[in-house]
Amino acid sequence: MMKTFGVLGRRALLSAVAVASLAATMPAMAQDASGELVILQWLGGSEGEMWTELGNDFVAKNPNVTIREVALTVQGDARGPMRTALLGGERVDLIINTWPAFRAELASAGVIAPIDDVWTERGWDDALDASWKALSQTDGVTYGVTYTYGNRSGIWYKTSHLADAGLEPPQTWEEFLAAIETLKQAGYSTPVAMPAKYWAHGEWFETMLLRIGGVEAAARLAAHEIPWTDEIVKTTLRKYAELLNAGCCGTPEQMFAGDWDYAADQIFTADAANFLLMGMWVNGRAINDYGLEEGVDYSMFQFPSMGMGHDDTSSVDAKEVLLTANSANPDAAVAFLDYLVSTDATNILAEYGYASPSKNADTSLLGPVQQVATAAVAQSQVQFVLGDLLPGDLVDEYRVQLQRFLQDPSDANIDAVTAAIEAKAMEVY
Amino acid sequence: MAAPVALPATDRAMAKSSRTPVGQRKLPHQPGRRLGDVPAAAILLIPVLILFGISVAFPLVETIRISFFDIRGLAAPKFVGIENYFRLFADPAFRNTLWTTLVFTLSTTAISVSIGWTLAMLCNFAPRETTVFRVMIFAAFGVSEAVVGYMWVSIFRPDVAGLLNSFIALFGMPGFAHPWLGDPQTALLAIVISASWGGVGLPLMLCFAAVQSIPRTVLEAAYMDGAKPLSVMRHILMPLSMQGVRVAIFINLLGALRAFDIIFVMTGGGPVRSTETVGYFMYRESMTQFKLGYGAAATVVLLIAVLVISIPAIIQRTAGAK
Repeated sequence: MMKTFGVLGRRALLSAVAVASLAATMPAMAQDASGELVILQWLGGSEGEMWTELGNDFVAKNPNVTIREVALTVQGDARGPMRTALLGGERVDLIINTWPAFRAELASAGVIAPIDDVWTERGWDDALDASWKALSQTDGVTYGVTYTYGNRSGIWYKTSHLADAGLEPPQTWEEFLAAIETLKQAGYSTPVAMPAKYWAHGEWFETMLLRIGGVEAAARLAAHEIPWTDEIVKTTLRKYAELLNAGCCGTPEQMFAGDWDYAADQIFTADAANFLLMGMWVNGRAINDYGLEEGVDYSMFQFPSMGMGHDDTSSVDAKEVLLTANSANPDAAVAFLDYLVSTDATNILAEYGYASPSKNADTSLLGPVQQVATAAVAQSQVQFVLGDLLPGDLVDEYRVQLQRFLQDPSDANIDAVTAAIEAKAMEVY
Repeated sequence: MAAPVALPATDRAMAKSSRTPVGQRKLPHQPGRRLGDVPAAAILLIPVLILFGISVAFPLVETIRISFFDIRGLAAPKFVGIENYFRLFADPAFRNTLWTTLVFTLSTTAISVSIGWTLAMLCNFAPRETTVFRVMIFAAFGVSEAVVGYMWVSIFRPDVAGLLNSFIALFGMPGFAHPWLGDPQTALLAIVISASWGGVGLPLMLCFAAVQSIPRTVLEAAYMDGAKPLSVMRHILMPLSMQGVRVAIFINLLGALRAFDIIFVMTGGGPVRSTETVGYFMYRESMTQFKLGYGAAATVVLLIAVLVISIPAIIQRTAGAK
């Protein structure tokens, strides 16, 4: 074990060597890539299938390259299996990642290589805006290429539920609370499906935090530049309490009983709930698992405006591909990164319902709900999902304390909950 | 060096004639080629010791060693001595897991062993007629804990698709329907029931074997003296099957102490950490947080708990061995 860590410790040096070798082989990269390209792959379901298709298309365009996926079996957080694979000596060229905190960890251990020079050489600025480049940076150094992103401030609903209750998608916080009341009167005991079994109850807090404190406050909180006992956090929880006190979500026991997939079932198949604040993967589930027609049977609206000065903000997630410092085939790896921002790759992404940040993407290929989400993000100041920015220790405590808040959303408990998260943050940072 | 072992007289005679009693040829005995007890034992033990070293001793020593390091994610390890252990016992989440583990371990052991023992004694009154019944219960013991967990999740589902709540509604008591796994007050109980269900089979078989080993003459004498079935159970079957019960308790305790799969599947340690055992805490810290040193310290604490239970039992069970 320690030997392996020794190897990792030397990866900082290897990283520098890798950068030098990348620079040295730059002219060669412009040529056809060849050899085996190894990708650390942890995505499953339709997203995993999409990756297989991306790989096949890349190989068709680069016949001298073969792709091997180091496929990880994942339930829950994929970072554990990814770390195990890397510590176990798996040598891969590319790593798929979605956690900025994990990227920082990989960069600090010298596992991934900076790609700023390659970025300039390949002219990726033409395809990706500076904000997308910034999203893949740690301490100002670029390590990855973002290939997809998702809106995390969209609320899913079944169109028939609102139509039957005579409602339009609510635009403001007050309209939203009123819609909850109307739906309760229409017989829905829990209009908002609140999946608080593991992590998904944090989605509401995170978007409300943005709407109340703005992206800057959220970023500062993620970096612990402001404490968790700050008034912005407490105000956010008080707003969250308004939602709970409006009888949105049933008892805490009902909220703790299920994860996001159970919550989605409650809306789309059981017709027992109406609203779900969740990421874009719900779209794939609605189409593939429930057999619903996008934009007809279901849709989404952006989180209602709260009138607190930051209604132009949205929470987003993104996935990127990172180049490893000990890549055995950097030519093919860079060629693949280049391919990911191409029109062909973005068309495959769109076919599977994933939005690409690349300017080469044809957004008209996206489904109607994806277009709503893409337009909402385009018009927003965006901030990465808070839970994915926090260190592992803290995010665990943060989610448990939010569960305690759901049990008792009183002002006194808000003080206790924020103090507990802050105490953990003091240990971690 | 061990002295050459002297052969008994009959063997010497047979070796001299090189023939077996039934006339088959036998290889001639070659004095000096025979191994002494110690080398023979060593040759027999070496493969087992190598296997034991690789699969048990090395991971154990490595886990103890790692527990003295602060290892976070992929960062370089830092030696911290016994600080992880101090932090562990100061951590309210870990202290909570100790209590949860104790409740879970004692409850599942008590429930599954007492049910298994009672069923074993009842089955003894009609052993042939209850064969299929016993096989069915024992089969549940062969099902993986994860599968048991998934099955019980569907039973405890909070909505109408949940079997338990459906039954409650069916009997006209919808007010008793409850999100069993979502309530910190009932989640642990639900897991205890699920784990006990899966764990009844082994005590049943062990206790049944113990009950079956009671001499029939003892039972016949009791019946001739006019004992009723309940008295036979109370005064003969129960005391004379205690050996099987002790083994069942021992095995169930060890299994329950290390419980992880069923908790991972059913609640993930929640809600609000109410079902988090030491085994789950160890997983969370080591694999989710990737704090390998801290997780290893929790592993060592669990190991000590397992040893505290198993060493006296092993000593007791092997004390009579020659």
